[in-house]
Amino acid sequence: MHDLFQRLISLPWDQAPQWFFLFPALLMLLAAAAAVMLRNLIHCALCLTLSFIALGVLFIALGAEFVGFVQLLVYVGAVTMLILFAILLTPASEVAASNNPFRSFQLSKALNAVAGGAVAMLVLAGLLAAIFFSPHAQAAVNPAKAATAPAAAIGENLLNHTLLPLQGTAILLTAALIGAALLAKEDKRS
Amino acid sequence: MHFLENLPLATKKFILDLVKGACGWLCTKLGIALPPWAMPLLLTLVSILVVIVAIIAVYMVMFALMSVAERKILARMQNRYGPNRAGWFGILQPVADGIKMLTKEDLVPRGADKIVHFLAPIAMVAPALMLPAIIPYGTGMVPVELSAGILYFFALGAGTELAVFMAGWSSNNKYSVMGAMRAIAQMISYELPLVMSAVIAALVAGTLSPTGIVEAQGGYSLGFIPNWFVFTPWGFVACLLFYIGALAESNRCPFDLPEGESELVAGHLTEYSGFKYAIFFMAEYVGMFAINGLLVTLFLGGYKAPCPFLEWIPSWCWFFAKLALLAFSMVWVRATLPRFRIDQMMQFAWKFMLPMSFAALIAAAVWYYAGRGPLAWGLSALIVGIPYLALGHFCFTRHHTADNRRYLYSE
Amino acid sequence: MNLPGSGILKGMAVTAVNFIGSFLDRAHAKRLITEQYPEERPTLVETSRSFPFLVFDGDPEKGIRCTACKICEKECPPQCIFIVKDKDANGKPILRPQIFDIDISVCMGCQICVEVCPFESIRMDNIYEVSAYDRFETLVLHKEQLLKSNVYYRQIHPTEAAQTDARIEAARVKKAAAAKAAAEKAAAAKAAAAAKAAETQPEPTA
Repeated sequence: MHDLFQRLISLPWDQAPQWFFLFPALLMLLAAAAAVMLRNLIHCALCLTLSFIALGVLFIALGAEFVGFVQLLVYVGAVTMLILFAILLTPASEVAASNNPFRSFQLSKALNAVAGGAVAMLVLAGLLAAIFFSPHAQAAVNPAKAATAPAAAIGENLLNHTLLPLQGTAILLTAALIGAALLAKEDKRS
Repeated sequence: MHFLENLPLATKKFILDLVKGACGWLCTKLGIALPPWAMPLLLTLVSILVVIVAIIAVYMVMFALMSVAERKILARMQNRYGPNRAGWFGILQPVADGIKMLTKEDLVPRGADKIVHFLAPIAMVAPALMLPAIIPYGTGMVPVELSAGILYFFALGAGTELAVFMAGWSSNNKYSVMGAMRAIAQMISYELPLVMSAVIAALVAGTLSPTGIVEAQGGYSLGFIPNWFVFTPWGFVACLLFYIGALAESNRCPFDLPEGESELVAGHLTEYSGFKYAIFFMAEYVGMFAINGLLVTLFLGGYKAPCPFLEWIPSWCWFFAKLALLAFSMVWVRATLPRFRIDQMMQFAWKFMLPMSFAALIAAAVWYYAGRGPLAWGLSALIVGIPYLALGHFCFTRHHTADNRRYLYSE
Repeated sequence: MNLPGSGILKGMAVTAVNFIGSFLDRAHAKRLITEQYPEERPTLVETSRSFPFLVFDGDPEKGIRCTACKICEKECPPQCIFIVKDKDANGKPILRPQIFDIDISVCMGCQICVEVCPFESIRMDNIYEVSAYDRFETLVLHKEQLLKSNVYYRQIHPTEAAQTDARIEAARVKKAAAAKAAAEKAAAAKAAAAAKAAETQPEPTA
């Protein structure tokens, strides 16, 4: 008993914190899988949210506080709400199989699975390629640089190097907003 | 007075020393050799635990006091007595309420989504209890020092909307869903001006860390006026906007229309009873205290004393005094203002709060670059004053009289 | 032009005045008019009423006004009155209730029994602390609990009691006068009859 306790306490527990990231990572994967597989749309959306939250926690656990908080703020606060509202405002009957525009493309179940798997593999390969071959990603893997005031660094980058894309995105979003407002207005008049 | 100032930190240190001593004594007694990293790790864990227990205890006490104080103050403002039966002047009313809540039956509707219905209160209370972690309560008394503390606060605040949606949807009740939709619409609309006004404070202080923002408000101009942001034209406007946003975010009157009992029974809380209802209630109050704490931090100088000769009072006392003042003012507002209608609420958010927060942002930038002198004062006052008068006159003053009103459906 | 938002400040001032005033106004004349019930008791207005009771004069046994005529029992809308006529030793009904029950958990306080009573014997009480744990034992009032003296009635409803007393007195006087008149008439008739007899009947001759 005594020996067991001594051996237990002598394990390298101080190494444990660097494995903490496993919890949010596994949670994220499980939630994402559940989001794909569950039948109830709202449950899917909630699971997706859980996976967003886990991703944010993962960012924070890896030291990227700013990105983690922005992830929570934008995805949990805004995107999820958008998804949930979209689901609630769409009558469930409209999503019936008879209305499915892709119905003619539906093949056998096995073929579907193969096609889906292929698409997933392609996306994964693209992501991996982007991560491993992008010069920005290479540069970002620098803990010393990331640790010093990440928020300030992101701000500097946004407003110096990537100002033009930022402004372009802003104009695009504003145009989308105006378009949405116009569509809503049209609907009201008729 | 130095002793009082250090009292909370000294208590924490005392507990840590106690744990350290007890642990060392136990190990020598049992003959266990601790690895060198074990003690610091243990002490870190214990210190985290101490801080968590302290925060939860303080906020629970404040919640209990607030629940009775709110009713007493509200009653006085309406020429009533308020609760005065349980204990001395009704001070034990929270205990009575707690016992009532805990002994009530926990009802779950038959058509409810049981898992989500169960998870909603948890999703509500967990972020609410995490909110107070970044607020600086006194000099060197911030539970978690984050460089992006303000962002943390709003990131967690986003979780509340999700919990409200879960509660409303899972109840399988039309009032619940409508209340949840209203709550979410309101929270999303008011989060924008809320974040904008927080951004203004962060902009002038040049940091997102709450402690940094408080430190930026230290010192006095002319020897006695504290350099709090609320005493500048843009800061005053931003503070009011943040205050209104805080009222809306914590679903308090006049923004309590998600729970408007005259139309929606109790909104997303309709199908909750007993302990789950108590948890929602608690989360709402803790969230209110936390957002008021952030308001104190951002605009009211945090733990700073209001005049130089009052600095002998401990800094954490000042923080809680300001917090109490804000809580009182929220009750005062509740006693005074009637509930918004949903379209008024939306109009107010998008036609008044948002333009005003942009005006305040510009005014803050002008004030910052114009040298913070009298000229800067005048300019920034003009920049926030003109939009205020214009919006108030053209959007929110009723120019038509009862005569030229038209009723579409009654003619 | 009003400054936008000045209305809110005005409203806040009103509530602030209320708040501060509620502490300054010690006499509670204008503010905080709530009655602290178990300690402070309401002074009931004279016309307040709750449930019926039976009035007696002097002695509760002999002075009972009720004659068990059962009009109130018939008229009572929720039928909460139950009356049984008393009988004497020979089994002959007498004008007195043997049982008079009112179920006050059913009574709605409409006062119709009072209106219809020809003997001024049932009147409205103003008790209000009648809560009990048992509906059937404690809330069905029997004759003993219902009987209350005219003195009590005068205390709770002075004006009404005075009117009732005046009516009873007037009735008594009228009755006495009628009795007197009847007696006089009877006497007169008797005298007249005697006179007539004396007139018509010839004097008996010996």
